[in-house]
Amino acid sequence: MDNNEFEKESVASEEVAPEMSATEQLPGLEAQIEPEQAAAEIEKKTESDAAASAIPVKKSKRQLKKEEKKRLSQYHVGSWEIITHYFKYNDAEKKHYRYILGRRVSEKVWPVFRFLILFGLAFVILYPMLYMVSCAIRPQSEMSDPSILWIPKTFTLDNLIETWNAIDYPKLVWDTVSVNVVCSLIQVLTCSIAGYGFARFKFKGKGILFAIVLMQIIVPTQVILIPQFMQFRYFDPFGLISLISGEALNLADSPWALYLQAFFCNGIRAGLFIFLFRQFFRGLPKELEDAAYLDGCGPFETFVKVMVPNASNSFLTVFIFSVVWYWNDSYVSGMFFTKSNTIALQVSNLFNTISAYFNNGTPTGIASDWLVWIEAGCLLSILPILIMYIFLQKNFVEGVERSGIVG
Amino acid sequence: MSELEKDMNPEQEGVNVTETGENEAVLNAEPETQAAAEEAIAQTETAQETAEEPQPAPRQYAAHMTASAAALNAAGEVDIRRRKPRQEKKIKESKISYERRKGLYGYGFIALWFVGVVYMFIIPLFQSLWYSLSYCELVSQTDVMEKYGMDGPGIYTEWNDFGNYKKAFTENPDYPQNLVKSLGETAYSVPLILVFSLFVALLLNDKFKGRTFARAIFFLPVLIATGPVLQVINGDMLSQGVGEAAQFSALFKANFVEEFLQFMGLNNISQSFADAVSEITGTILNLIWDSGIQILIFIAALQQIPVSAKEAASMEGATGWEFFWKITFPTISPMIFANLIYTVIDAFVKTDNPVMQQVMSYARAWDYGFSSAMAWAYFVIVAVILGIISAIVSKFIFYQVD
Repeated sequence: MDNNEFEKESVASEEVAPEMSATEQLPGLEAQIEPEQAAAEIEKKTESDAAASAIPVKKSKRQLKKEEKKRLSQYHVGSWEIITHYFKYNDAEKKHYRYILGRRVSEKVWPVFRFLILFGLAFVILYPMLYMVSCAIRPQSEMSDPSILWIPKTFTLDNLIETWNAIDYPKLVWDTVSVNVVCSLIQVLTCSIAGYGFARFKFKGKGILFAIVLMQIIVPTQVILIPQFMQFRYFDPFGLISLISGEALNLADSPWALYLQAFFCNGIRAGLFIFLFRQFFRGLPKELEDAAYLDGCGPFETFVKVMVPNASNSFLTVFIFSVVWYWNDSYVSGMFFTKSNTIALQVSNLFNTISAYFNNGTPTGIASDWLVWIEAGCLLSILPILIMYIFLQKNFVEGVERSGIVG
Repeated sequence: MSELEKDMNPEQEGVNVTETGENEAVLNAEPETQAAAEEAIAQTETAQETAEEPQPAPRQYAAHMTASAAALNAAGEVDIRRRKPRQEKKIKESKISYERRKGLYGYGFIALWFVGVVYMFIIPLFQSLWYSLSYCELVSQTDVMEKYGMDGPGIYTEWNDFGNYKKAFTENPDYPQNLVKSLGETAYSVPLILVFSLFVALLLNDKFKGRTFARAIFFLPVLIATGPVLQVINGDMLSQGVGEAAQFSALFKANFVEEFLQFMGLNNISQSFADAVSEITGTILNLIWDSGIQILIFIAALQQIPVSAKEAASMEGATGWEFFWKITFPTISPMIFANLIYTVIDAFVKTDNPVMQQVMSYARAWDYGFSSAMAWAYFVIVAVILGIISAIVSKFIFYQVD
C-alpha cells in the first residue's frame, strides 16, 4: 500500500513538472530559444574548426574575452525590449525583468552618485588645507581683497620664511622629533611586547590585568594627569631615588617624563595600542610559534624573530597612529613642559609668537591681522607628517586592512 | 649529546671516539663498553655529589652488555679510567608543567607594562580620587610645610566631607550646565558619526578607479583631527586669549556657505536660512573631522565579508539593499559595537569638550581638589552611560561562530 501511494505521488509530481516548465517557457521567450540554437550552431562550428586544425590554436586573452562577450550577447535582452514587452510577461518574468532592469539602472547611476558624494566630502576635507595653502602664499594686503578667492594675484614665500624664522622651525622640528617621535617608537615596541604577553600566554590574573588595560583606554587622561605631574615633579618611584641621592628628582620640563611614560607602556593612548597588538597577535596562527619552540627558540627569541616580522604591517599602522597622536598632542606635553618646545604647543601659541616677533616682544592686534602668518605656521606644522603620510600612505591603507584592528 | 640520541644511533659514538683519539680497543668495544663505562662513572659521580638526594633508578642495560664490558675491563684490554667523563647536558626535570612555565614567561612579557601601570596609572588614579575627596593645597614654602607638618614640598590634603562634589553640583554655576551640554552633544553626534562613517566606508569599499587616492584623502582627518591645527581651523584656540579668534571659523564656514549660495544665484535669501545652512555645513565639517578612525575601522571590517557571499547573494537575486541588511550589517555588527564604544569615549574625552575644558582651567589654577572632583563625577557618569549602552547594544550583536 505504502509503496503504491509513493509511486503514485512520484508519478503525479513527474506529470506536473513538465507542465510547469511549459508554462514558464510559454510566452515571449523566443528571444531565449533563438540564442540557444545559435549557441549550438556556434559550438558545432568550433568543433568543426577544431577538427580541421589538428593542433588547437592557442587564443589570446583578448580573443577569448571577445568570444565570451559575443556568446553572452546572444542571451542579452535589451532594456528597451523589456520595457516594451513588459505587459506580455507573466508574473515570475515580470519580477525577474524588474530585477534586471533595476540592476542595470543602478549600475549606471550609482558610480555617478558615488563620485558626487565622494568628491563633495573630499572637498570639505581638503577645503581647510587648500585655504591654508592659499593664505600662506599671498601677501597680507591681499587678504582683504574681495576680488581674490583662491588664487592670489602675487605669489610670495615671505610669510613662510618669516614664520620659519619666528618659530625657529628647524630647531622646533628637531625638538619635536627628539621628544615625540622617539616616544612613539619606544611606545610601539613596549606595547607590542605587552600585547604579545596578553595574546599568547595563560597566567593567573590575566583577566583582571587585561581589565586594567581596558581601564587605561576608558579613563580620561585629565583624571590622572595632575597626580602624574606631581609624581614626575618629585620623581621618587617607591622611594628608590631618595635612597640613592637623598632628594627626589625634578623631571618636569624634561623629556624624560615622556620617555619614561612611553617606556612603561603608559604614553598617549597606550591602552589602545596594547589592545590592538593583542588582537593582532591572537590572529596569527599558533603553529608559527610551536615551530619556533621546536627549533629551540625561547619565548622572547620567538617573539623577536618570528612574530615581529609577521606583524610588520600592524607595526607600521600602530607606529603611524602613535607618531600622529604624539605629534599632535598639546595636552600631555603642555602639562609637562612650561616652554612651548614642541610643534603642537607652538601652534596653539602661534598668535603670540608671531605678533611678538614683529612687534619687539609685545603681542598686539587681533588674530586676523596675522592670518597669513598663522596659516603659514599651521602649514609648516603639519608638513612633516603630511610628507610621511604621502610616503607611507599605501602601506598604511593596506596595513589597516590586515592589521587586526578587526579581531 | 643527550642520552636519547646516543641510544638511537650508536654509530656516531664510534666516530666521536676516533676523533678524541682513543685507542682501537675502545673502538672495537663500542658501544657496549662505553655505555657500561659511563654508567659506572655516572654512578660514582652521583654518589659523590648528591649523597643526600634520593638516587634516580640506575639505567637498565641488557645483561650481556654489562657483562661483556666487565669482562673486557677485567682482562685489562680496556682501561675505563682513561676515558674522560663525558660532559652531558642534563635535561632539567622541572616540576611545573610546560603550559605553566610558558605562563610564567607571560608574566615576563607584561612586567614592563605592569610596573608602569602600577606607578603611573593606578597610584595616580587613587591619588586623584583622594584629592577629589579632600581639601588640597600645593605646598612649597618651608613655613607652610611646618604648619601642616609635612616633610617636603607636595600637596597637602585633608578630608573635607565631599565638599568638592557639593561645590561642583550646587555652588558652581557652570559645571551642571557644561555637563548637560557635553552629554547632549555626545547624544546627537555619536549616532550621526556612526551612520556617516559606515556610509563612507561602504562607498570606499566599492571597486572604482582612484580608490586608493580617495581613501588617502578620507584618512587625512586622522592625521590632523587630534591636533591644534584643527582648533585653528575650528576657531576655538584656548591659549590665544584672543576674542577675535572666532574669526577663523567665520572665515572657514560662513564665507563658504555664502559664496556657495551666491554662486547658486540665491542672493536675497533670508538670514536665518543662511545661518541654518552654515550651521549644517559646520556640523558636517566636524562630523567628517571626527569620523576618520571610525571609517578606518569600518573599512577593515568590511574587508572581512567574503566575495563568495556577495556572489551567492547576487545569484539569488538579492538587491544591494537586501544584501546590506541581511549580510553586511550582521557581519560587521561586532565592529559597529566596538565603534560605538570608541566614539562615545572619544566624544567624552576630547579636549574641546566643555567639561574637560573647565576641569583643565581649574587644574591650571592649582585647584586640584575641585578639578579632580569634577573629573571623577564626569568619569562616573560616563562609565554608567557606557555600561548601559553596552548592556543594551550587546544583545543585538550577531557573533559568527567559527
